[in-house]
Amino acid sequence: MTTDATLATHLQELRRGTVVVASLMVLRAPGYGYSLLETLSEAGFDVEANTLYPLLRRLESQGLLVSEWNTDEARPRKFYRTTELGDTVANTLRGEWKRLDGAITDLSFTHPGSDK
Amino acid sequence: MTSLVDRYVYTALRRIPEQQRSDIDRELRASIDDAVDARVESGEPLDTAVENALLELGDPDKLADSYADRPNFLIGPELYGVWRRFMLMLFTTVLPIVVVATSIGGFFADDVNIGAIIGNAIGTALTVGVHLAFWTTATFAVIERTGLGRDELRGGPWTPKDLPKYEPRAVSLGQVVTYVVWPVILIAAIILQRFTFTDVPVLDPGGWSFWWPLVIALIALKALWAVWLYRTGWTRPVLIVNALIAVAVGAVTTYLLASDNFFNPAFDWITDNNTDLLDWITPAVIVATIAGTLWDILETTIRGERARRGLPTKVPGSGNTYKFG
Repeated sequence: MTTDATLATHLQELRRGTVVVASLMVLRAPGYGYSLLETLSEAGFDVEANTLYPLLRRLESQGLLVSEWNTDEARPRKFYRTTELGDTVANTLRGEWKRLDGAITDLSFTHPGSDK
Repeated sequence: MTSLVDRYVYTALRRIPEQQRSDIDRELRASIDDAVDARVESGEPLDTAVENALLELGDPDKLADSYADRPNFLIGPELYGVWRRFMLMLFTTVLPIVVVATSIGGFFADDVNIGAIIGNAIGTALTVGVHLAFWTTATFAVIERTGLGRDELRGGPWTPKDLPKYEPRAVSLGQVVTYVVWPVILIAAIILQRFTFTDVPVLDPGGWSFWWPLVIALIALKALWAVWLYRTGWTRPVLIVNALIAVAVGAVTTYLLASDNFFNPAFDWITDNNTDLLDWITPAVIVATIAGTLWDILETTIRGERARRGLPTKVPGSGNTYKFG
């Protein structure tokens, strides 16, 4: 395995799960698949359509999102919205994210072998 | 242009559970159309935009798997370990026993044909092996998908108590099973040869009044001895009793052979070119019996003594020796 491939695997593992948090946060205002994809890409999330669309349905089946078909416009679209439970889960995940960030920051100031 | 999107959506839908199809159909089309529109707006020609939008979504089969949220493996990591141990056990224990048991019959056929026996053994090994592998894997795949009995199979959380014992005195269950299985097969063969395998029994029927029951009893003792060994580990009495049993079986067998009371004289021992097989077999079996008896005593005593004195023993498969204490 080359260094690039190793790095890619680790990056993928690190990023896994961030899309869930991001989606739950963005969808506090209702949105449809493609709009969410655009928003996430612009925000700097490296997410593919073929992962995001199935993910939305999975989150819906877990009760973190609800969906509704909007037929007002020429093109009917399925709009997703974060539920109360989804919001709670998103907040918990964000809390964990912050805790990990703090822990990693602390580590970078700790020198191995020293008392602190 | 539409046909390309249609083909893509239909291909994906084929592998999605029916009750989700119409909803995913609408949503997927809307998403593709949105992506195409965005690409056209940024100046791509329509054909290229469609192609690129679909290319971005990737393999429709994979997309369908992702939607259906089903595992794309036969046996997952939770059950793989159990499956592997089970297969190993089947192929190292059950398969050899079945092959040997079915081959024994060949030696008692009217005309013994070594080539045919070997051929049959290979055939049996292949057939039984394929069956064992297939049915085991199929059962595990069903368990993986239905979850039935999965927790029982995993056998609870691992604790340090589950570690195998490497102390030289300890006797592994596998070792004991081997010690028990062979006497049982031997007894079954002695009893069955009287009724099946051949029209005329191979062993002298006159022995059933006393000698054969005695031999069976002695062989059964060996199986009981193995259970005793398992319970107490290697001790001096265990080794002495093993030697006594071996000598008794060897002596009785040799006596019966030497006094022509072992093989059934009524059996057709004459080959096609008029040699009496019995003249060859009797001395050969006498030599084999004595050698086997000596080997059994020596091998068991050496192994037992090493264990009893706590000498370092090899841990099979680890490349290391374990020093007790």
